[in-house]
Amino acid sequence: MAHHSDSEDDDYSYEDDDDDSEFDEEEEEPRNSRKKRGRSNPDSAAARGKKRKPSGSIFIEDDVIVDDDEEDDEDVEDGFIEHGEADHRGEEVVHRQFHEPTFRSRVGAEEYLDFMQEKYSKPRAQYDDDDDYEGGEELTAVDQQALLPSVRDPKLWMVKCAIGREREVAVCLMQKAIDRGSNFKIRSVIALDHLQNYIYVEADMEAHVKEAIKGMRSIFANHKILLVPIREMADVLSVKSKTVELARDTWVRMKLGIYKGDLAQVVDVDDVRRKVTVKLIPRIDLQHLADKQEGRPIVKKKAFVPPPRFMNVDEARELHIRVERRRDRMTGDYFENIDGLLFKDGFLYKQVSTKSISTQNVTPTFDELERFKKANENGEIDFVDMSTLFANRKKGHFMKGDEVIVIKGDLKNLKGWVEKVDEENVLIRSDTKGLHNPLAVNEKELCKYFEPGNHVKVVCGTNEGATGMVVKVEQHVLSILSDTTKQHIRVFADHVVKSAEVTNGVTKMGEYELHDLVLLSNLSFGVIIKLDNEAIQILKGVPGRTELVIVKHGEIKYKIEKRINAKDRNKNVITVKDVVRVIDGPNKGKQGPVVQIYKGVLFLHDRHNVENAGFLCAKCSSCVLVGGSNSAADRIVDSFSRLGNPKPPAPVPPSPRRFQRADSAGAGGRHWSGRGGRGHDLLVGAYVKVRMGPFKGYRGRILEVKEKTVRLEHEARIVTGKLSPLHTLLVARDAIADVNENVATPSQYNMGSQTPLHPSRTPLHPCMTPMRDSGATPIHNGMRTPMRDRAWNPYTPMSPPRDSWEDGNSGSWGTSLLYQPASPMRTYDAATPGSGWDSSTPGRNYSDAGTPRDANAPSPYQPMTPNSASYLPSTPGGQPMTPGTDLDVQSPDIGGDAETWLMPGILVNVHKAGENINVGVIRDVLPDGSCVVALGDRGEGETVMAVQNEVRLVCPRKNERVKIVGGKHRGLLAKLIGLDGSDGIVKLDDTLDIKILNLDSLAKLAHA
Amino acid sequence: MFFHIVLERNMQLHPRFFGRNLRENLVSKLMKDVEGTCSGRHGFVVAITGIESVGKGLIRDGTAFVTFPVKYQCVVFRPFKGEILEAVVTLVNKMGFFAEAGPVQIFVSKHLIPDDMEFQAGDMPNYTTSDGSVKIQKECEVRLKIIGTRVDATEIFCVGTIKDDFLGVINDPAAAA
Repeated sequence: MAHHSDSEDDDYSYEDDDDDSEFDEEEEEPRNSRKKRGRSNPDSAAARGKKRKPSGSIFIEDDVIVDDDEEDDEDVEDGFIEHGEADHRGEEVVHRQFHEPTFRSRVGAEEYLDFMQEKYSKPRAQYDDDDDYEGGEELTAVDQQALLPSVRDPKLWMVKCAIGREREVAVCLMQKAIDRGSNFKIRSVIALDHLQNYIYVEADMEAHVKEAIKGMRSIFANHKILLVPIREMADVLSVKSKTVELARDTWVRMKLGIYKGDLAQVVDVDDVRRKVTVKLIPRIDLQHLADKQEGRPIVKKKAFVPPPRFMNVDEARELHIRVERRRDRMTGDYFENIDGLLFKDGFLYKQVSTKSISTQNVTPTFDELERFKKANENGEIDFVDMSTLFANRKKGHFMKGDEVIVIKGDLKNLKGWVEKVDEENVLIRSDTKGLHNPLAVNEKELCKYFEPGNHVKVVCGTNEGATGMVVKVEQHVLSILSDTTKQHIRVFADHVVKSAEVTNGVTKMGEYELHDLVLLSNLSFGVIIKLDNEAIQILKGVPGRTELVIVKHGEIKYKIEKRINAKDRNKNVITVKDVVRVIDGPNKGKQGPVVQIYKGVLFLHDRHNVENAGFLCAKCSSCVLVGGSNSAADRIVDSFSRLGNPKPPAPVPPSPRRFQRADSAGAGGRHWSGRGGRGHDLLVGAYVKVRMGPFKGYRGRILEVKEKTVRLEHEARIVTGKLSPLHTLLVARDAIADVNENVATPSQYNMGSQTPLHPSRTPLHPCMTPMRDSGATPIHNGMRTPMRDRAWNPYTPMSPPRDSWEDGNSGSWGTSLLYQPASPMRTYDAATPGSGWDSSTPGRNYSDAGTPRDANAPSPYQPMTPNSASYLPSTPGGQPMTPGTDLDVQSPDIGGDAETWLMPGILVNVHKAGENINVGVIRDVLPDGSCVVALGDRGEGETVMAVQNEVRLVCPRKNERVKIVGGKHRGLLAKLIGLDGSDGIVKLDDTLDIKILNLDSLAKLAHA
Repeated sequence: MFFHIVLERNMQLHPRFFGRNLRENLVSKLMKDVEGTCSGRHGFVVAITGIESVGKGLIRDGTAFVTFPVKYQCVVFRPFKGEILEAVVTLVNKMGFFAEAGPVQIFVSKHLIPDDMEFQAGDMPNYTTSDGSVKIQKECEVRLKIIGTRVDATEIFCVGTIKDDFLGVINDPAAAA
């Protein structure tokens, strides 16, 4: 201190404005200390005669304490305080600085505070006497108003200065004022901690400010001086109440160092020195410590942060680390001292500055609290500190009607209902007699109350969004049985609200929702069974075993939205929501509604299955439709194997048609001309009804027939329903029925007695369409309750009436079963039009069924013979379908046909038997229909040959470039600008026309 | 709890069924449609016991279906909070066990199983008391109290407890065998 006093006069010669060049940073410290000393003399402050407003002085006083605080580590001034400490150290003084060699007791500080107070109360008193400030000791609200600045009061000016020099500038100005005396016209200078780059100067005129700051180096004098509007003046000095009182047991988070982000509990608070002692789970590398103590060379590993672990003293001793056991003088607790760090019960006790901890939004998670609990071993988490958890509650936490419990004070454990929330106070009503209702209780003394059985929703924390039923209440911790996962979740009572809604936590993430069927980037597929904040859990479609993957959002390629049917072991058609039972494989015996179907793999939801949110996947061939008919297999032809099902179902031998198809492509194919030919033209003008897809149920007249599509005219709109070849035919069959009614085609001759079956069947035909509807829509809907096939209900789907419908109509069933499976493997069928054709040829159909009544039916091969007389009758009323005509117009060139599907440049999935699905780009399409595919997204991989049925189009997504592979615009390039159900809205490159086309006729274009 | 109540429903019937057996067809369709369904208000419809009245049929435009308003008596089953039920255990896992009382599925969390019963993993997972005298496993019958219900569109799910007097296993076919 002595050496400061020597120089002080020279240092602070403000008289001369040029002198300020001597100012530099190192001098700040002595300057401050001097200032303090000056302050410590009450007289000198008063003697300065500097007129201050009370508010200003309060502020400065605050400031001074801060200054004091910051310096005391290195300040020589401590010397004088140590005397005080020696004398006054008393029992009530709590020591916190265990490892600081020199420390100052609170007594010293208190003394200091005392005279500060004394000092400042004096001028205040003078103020009250001298000036016409009224009000005396206690200021009323009106008086407060009177204190607000008016136009007559000095103004505040905002002066720009160098960043970080705000305080320095303020102090310099103060020094200048002291030195200059009364001819220094400014009233006060304010530097705010939170405001960088500016100081405020209080003065009557701008000129005074200018004069005062003239020549000061840290002030940008040429910068404009701004006047603070009167209204805002009070705000400048109002102290924000952001200082959260740090109390013991508060949960805080560390801001700095290796403990950054760690949860800590406040053990002790030193308000004066702005330090707190916190309890942490240490992150200590004992080996490292041992090395250090023994003087071994230490390898600095910067990136390594030891995981939090409780300190084990024995372990430390084993590593020959010196552990001292010391008793704290004040608290009487024993601490283990290792390398200057204090440990107790495995926790690290550390003293830190209040600035290095954050108290806002701490919200400890359950796990973190559990860890803290672990160490003290006597069980329960001490929920006294729950109150600190509540400190971070959101506004409007309590709602009217909430059930609450008082956790603090006289009314502890009183239960009640929230009547009204009034800022901090909550009015509650309770059942307890003798209490006047409603009671006002501070929000902090309340906690939500739940009882087992309540259905709740989690509103914050890691499980946010989940719902479930409370199964256990332990003080303020609830165990909840989640609705979706059927797992227990532990949450704080405070983090949940009562809710009737049932959600699954997060149910949607971007475009993907829970239970969506998605294609992953490695081309495997699966159902989303869980969505977390970031991760998506997927049950992969691998029948026979449970394969779970957790992926990121980006790893999902797209959502598969196709509605596909599959067939069970008995050839019953399974659609989504049908209840099936698994009769084979590891999931044998499980049963549940089908949620998704893809590539012959069913995803079931079995509510008895607790794993994977109840989902399991099974091959469709190892399932049976509950309530389905077993006899279906007898009645219908199995076209399973042809439809791309990987495993031919057992009851029906692998049909010879596989080979036969080749026949038809080769031998028979010759006779079959292009499918877009006349055969279809016969359909034009027919009344048909769409039976599948988004336009299902629409009726209309066929306007135009193309390879795979027919264009219908509907009263309301013109739609282009894309139909697979099979489908086209089936629509045609419908058409026949309808044509009979509407167009009165002379089909009667068919109704003769060509086959015994037909007479009985044909009359039924007109009825077929509505009946299917009745079967598929209204009745079905009613039946779609999961319970419908529970054993306890004797009347479920097997009920006689329904069966009789079906039986009465075996013909229609046969057909429906035949065509429905066509859709899952549309590409397949499409690529082999010839076979598709013949499968739906009725003649083949019946003969394959092998039922006796088909005895007169033509042999399956006959349809190949053009103009086969015996064949004709077998087409029920089917002029358009008459194979004779068809056969004539069929083109022998299958490759040409395939071209409509596969074109060079498009992206396809190649799936060869026994291999994974690979993505590739078609390089060339050979006349025989097979194509040359270069593997890889851009075709950068090896080139392989693929047969048509090994290749599937990659469904494009929005904003992707596509090539139109079917329809009128075939071959054109376009951009997919939107999706609408199974239609894509595309913008053609050439004409910029917007077209709505079926997605199946759009192929994703490979990147150039 | 079971109730015998009268409900009403509009039935749509295909013209095919018109004729002598119209009423029979209507009733069998009603049974098929309604029995086994669940509504939040009435619970599960267990059985139709009688038809009160069949109203006049109305032909619907465009579809040829005819709508009949049908009033019928039925037995419904709806679980209530606090109700004591007897149920059959269907699944036991470490979190507790599931039991079924007719169509209703009830979950009993391990927190709601008496503390002296411990979970035993293995081929036949079960909860057993320390002395082994009481065992809860699949197929055994328990008496439990419902503490909460959740009603979905298609099912009612309950949480139950056996941590109370006179609750617990009432019959264990496996042990008897």
